[in-house]
Amino acid sequence: MSEESRGNRDIQDAAPHQEKPQRQFRGLYDRVNISVGTLNMVIIVLSILLVLSMGYGIAHRGYVITFDSLGGTAVESGKQMYGELLLEPEQPVREGYVFDGWYRDRDLTAPWDMQEDIVTESMTLYAGWKEK
Amino acid sequence: MTEKKIGAKSQAFAGLSTQDKLRKVGDLLLNNAMYIIIIVAVIYISIKVPAFLKLPSIVNVISLTAARLPIALGIGGCIVLTGTDISAGRVVGLTACISASLLTTTFKVFPEMTSAPPIFVVFLLVLAVGAVVGLVNGFSVAKFKLHPFIVTLSTQLIVYGVILMYLKNGTNNGQTLSGLTDGYRALVTGTLFSIGNVAVPKYVLYAIVLTVVMWVVWNKTTFGKNMFAVGSNEEAANVSGVNVSRTIILVFVLAGVMYAITGFLDSARIASANAATGFNYECDAIAACVIGGVSFVGGIGRISGIVVGVLLLQIIFAGLNFLSVDANMLYIIKGLIILIACAIDMRKYLVRK
Repeated sequence: MSEESRGNRDIQDAAPHQEKPQRQFRGLYDRVNISVGTLNMVIIVLSILLVLSMGYGIAHRGYVITFDSLGGTAVESGKQMYGELLLEPEQPVREGYVFDGWYRDRDLTAPWDMQEDIVTESMTLYAGWKEK
Repeated sequence: MTEKKIGAKSQAFAGLSTQDKLRKVGDLLLNNAMYIIIIVAVIYISIKVPAFLKLPSIVNVISLTAARLPIALGIGGCIVLTGTDISAGRVVGLTACISASLLTTTFKVFPEMTSAPPIFVVFLLVLAVGAVVGLVNGFSVAKFKLHPFIVTLSTQLIVYGVILMYLKNGTNNGQTLSGLTDGYRALVTGTLFSIGNVAVPKYVLYAIVLTVVMWVVWNKTTFGKNMFAVGSNEEAANVSGVNVSRTIILVFVLAGVMYAITGFLDSARIASANAATGFNYECDAIAACVIGGVSFVGGIGRISGIVVGVLLLQIIFAGLNFLSVDANMLYIIKGLIILIACAIDMRKYLVRK
């Protein structure tokens, strides 16, 4: 008899065992030491906390957009909602360079399109510079 | 017949004293607290931002669900074994980086390469990488009898180190990998079909296929039955002739393969990969499994539950995203959701006992 079929047959034999396990608690709840009443309170308190934190998140909604001018003059960060076009900030200035738009990454590989791209998260944009 | 049953049930309910009635309703509310909160939140969000219920947003939620489904299906098996796997996210990161470094047009990690290898070869390679990590996890859990948390904590760190070293290779110097080949991106993010103007990406189909495969593995194979037997009572399974070690190792290997698939799909989906890819994915996956009724008691869980769990999580987070709730707050919300899901899971277990 192959290992597979032996395993299969004996699972059926093992089924009654599963219904009344020798130990009462298994798995990660091996050492659970709490009454149902206390657990109810825990669930209620946690649920209230969850609702409160969702409420807090919604009350303080808005994504913070920070601008790293990478050596240019500082640009103030702004707060915007999901799905909005980016409000163009004041252009930074840098000695000996010409501003070349904002980029998603520090390596300046992904330019931010002010007409097309929409805000979907808090993010930092990096200034691109071209030498004069 | 069923009507009679329901009638009898409601009659029995009517026959209860007020106190018992209250307790029953309380039980129902507590056991479903998570679903109730999520449903109320979704209703609130769709009133506040009606665009949430529009087609693009629905397709977005489905796509995100599809992207996160494979990793949850993998972790589900580990939870059925009363374990967990916190190396999952980093394995996703590693396999995403390997895919992105090979199926690219720039070859920053391997400067001596000139053309991308066939996609299928890379796919098999990342599957093998995932399987090896899974094998290490499974072997340590099965043979050293270590708790999966400790084992996967160590592999998580090791894999992260490997990712960082890998990204330092060649001329890349730890930077984000991008410039993926068109063939690779088209295979994953190409349009499966369009509803109106909204394209459904191909990886939704792959997620469905994987779900069906995992359903068959869990429900119709000897391996699946052994997995549930080992999860619900290892000693009994052992006594009845199940090869416990082999089952545990196989579950972790299978999970590793699922993470690898997630990584392979994710790098093409995001169009880049870096050391942060996959970070914290295991949290979402574990949360989804617990919400979906895969119990930490072991030996309890259904594929359909995992799908529902992933979907619910994506709905709530897409909704909060629509409300522009900051990502920092989402971490707290996510943590609370996991805690509540575990408390409810534990409650169900205590009451049943």
